[in-house]
Amino acid sequence: MHFDSLVDALEFAIEKEEEAEQFYTELAEKMERPHMARIFENFAEEERGHRRMIKDVIMGRPSFVPQPRVADLQVSDHLMDVAPSPDMDYQQALIFAMKAEKAAYALYTQLSEASEDSAMRDLFHLLAQEEAKHKRRFEIEYDEQFSGEN
Amino acid sequence: MAEKKEKKPLDLNRRQMPKQPPEVRKYNFNEVAFGYPEDVAVEEAKRCIMCKKARCVQNCPVEIDIPAFIQAVADRNFAEGIRIIKQKNCLPAICGRVCPQEDQCEKTCTLVKKEGQLAIGRLERFLADWEARQGHVEMPDIPEWTGKNVAVVGGGPAGLTVAGDLILRGHRVTIFEALHRLGGVLVYGIPEFRLPKEIVNREVEYLKRLGVEVHTDFVVGKTRTIDSLLEEYDAIFVGSGAGLPWFMNIPGENLNGVYSANEYLTRLNLMKGYLFPTYHTPIKAHRRVAVIGGGNVAMDCARSALRLGAESRIIYRRSREELPARFEEVENAEEEGVIFDFLTLPLRYIGDENGWVKEMVIQKMELGEPDDSGRRRPVPIEGSEETWPVDAVVCAIGNSPNPLIGTTTPGLKLGKKGNIEADEETGMTSREKIWAGGDIVTGAATVILAMGAGRKAANSIHDYLMGGNGHGNGADDGSGANTASDANAGADQNTT
Repeated sequence: MHFDSLVDALEFAIEKEEEAEQFYTELAEKMERPHMARIFENFAEEERGHRRMIKDVIMGRPSFVPQPRVADLQVSDHLMDVAPSPDMDYQQALIFAMKAEKAAYALYTQLSEASEDSAMRDLFHLLAQEEAKHKRRFEIEYDEQFSGEN
Repeated sequence: MAEKKEKKPLDLNRRQMPKQPPEVRKYNFNEVAFGYPEDVAVEEAKRCIMCKKARCVQNCPVEIDIPAFIQAVADRNFAEGIRIIKQKNCLPAICGRVCPQEDQCEKTCTLVKKEGQLAIGRLERFLADWEARQGHVEMPDIPEWTGKNVAVVGGGPAGLTVAGDLILRGHRVTIFEALHRLGGVLVYGIPEFRLPKEIVNREVEYLKRLGVEVHTDFVVGKTRTIDSLLEEYDAIFVGSGAGLPWFMNIPGENLNGVYSANEYLTRLNLMKGYLFPTYHTPIKAHRRVAVIGGGNVAMDCARSALRLGAESRIIYRRSREELPARFEEVENAEEEGVIFDFLTLPLRYIGDENGWVKEMVIQKMELGEPDDSGRRRPVPIEGSEETWPVDAVVCAIGNSPNPLIGTTTPGLKLGKKGNIEADEETGMTSREKIWAGGDIVTGAATVILAMGAGRKAANSIHDYLMGGNGHGNGADDGSGANTASDANAGADQNTT
């Protein structure tokens, strides 16, 4: 994947976040159980927050602060994939979300490594770290909610 | 000159409870601990220093007057001791055996700093067992029918408490139980060697004699819905527990020989799998059993597997310090020969050509750097994967409520994990005439907490049925009915 400018790269990132937000919103609408719909609405809100942060960068108000590498608990690495379905429960929703965040992290990391422009490299690195933070939050939630006795 | 009285030094050592030796008990399902003999119970009770500010009471979910019953034991007035307990707890023989007193009343005992906390739970058990041995049942007077009918969904600790409290206030009570016996986790979950089922049967029989109607094999949400029951009942209490087991969602969990703890324990305890051929529902005898998890349920599974002749091991992702099981249960398991593999995570299970599990791939873990909360979380060690032979795996990592009632009762507000949201003080839910309490609200917790929730809900239901708004903490209906505290006096006496 190649980007001609930093703005192109940022617009790509916004698109990815919009897709994720849209996906979670549609999933929320499909849920049979109201409490699960609320959970996916919250996930969508998280993605909206990411999108706002990237837009801030375009507007010259960078809200990303360089951060040390986020530790990966690898909670989801060996879990089987979960297909989204209307009768998903909270455990399945978290597995799905952890894996989605991991995929986003991998994408931004790959883009960062492939970037020749240093500003673009730094930007994708920061986006990757944001996704890693996001994933870690889901991992901790999973760890506490479903692995308390494990 | 008056003879100087020789003062005996105060012995502050916590009294040990006699148990079956490990090399004997690992081959049988009989209760491990025998309970205190009378003299030892009295000696233990005399260790209590009768603190002015009894922090033990504050830490008891049902606020038993602990110093008073301990004093009664010290005075050898056992009848008074059990009477005091039953003012607040209708299942003392059960709570004295399975409640985590070390995290509740005993945790704040002043003697913790001295020679060991007072054995409050063991003394509670002693009194309940003493009473059972007396062999008489005092049946309380049942007040005239109030004209109200209450349905209790689930016959576990919360449901039994609600039923016991409300029948003695003049309401007609019917328990609907999904399984073929009442008792909930007390009969299907906790093994005989920790809680003899005869004790649960006593409690259940007592309730039946009081007039509680019981429908077993009745799955609310399938056989009939909550809304359908509301056409006949004036109030419903839902105490259906947390019976939906979690799996890890790793490859191979569908293989034969991979059980949930619920299935494994139900086959043993409720279906008496270990008593084949007396019972026609045997459980397969495995040679190498791996139990995943570190809670009390995991200990129950591992110790049961051992008794069935297997090499039994606990696989736990964190270190010994984080084990959530009661110390006493871990100690018992170790004495009996259960192997503990700490900082170990199963990655996948491998099956043979017939679809039975034959191996498990594990990864060793280490505790990472403390996070923002200060907690060190386990992280995998690169390249530490190993393959171990197993022929059975029991997944004991926790449970959540079965979604059946939540999904078949419109308007009932649920939490993230499908638990029913209920007011902590009254048990009232988002739907009028529906109360809930116990594990269906909190997720898997303790017997005494479920009972505490049941008692609060019973007070609220009674208040509502007598014309209140459910917040009256038990309105006086003028019927002269016993109070909730008295409601279960004698509940453990049904030995005749």
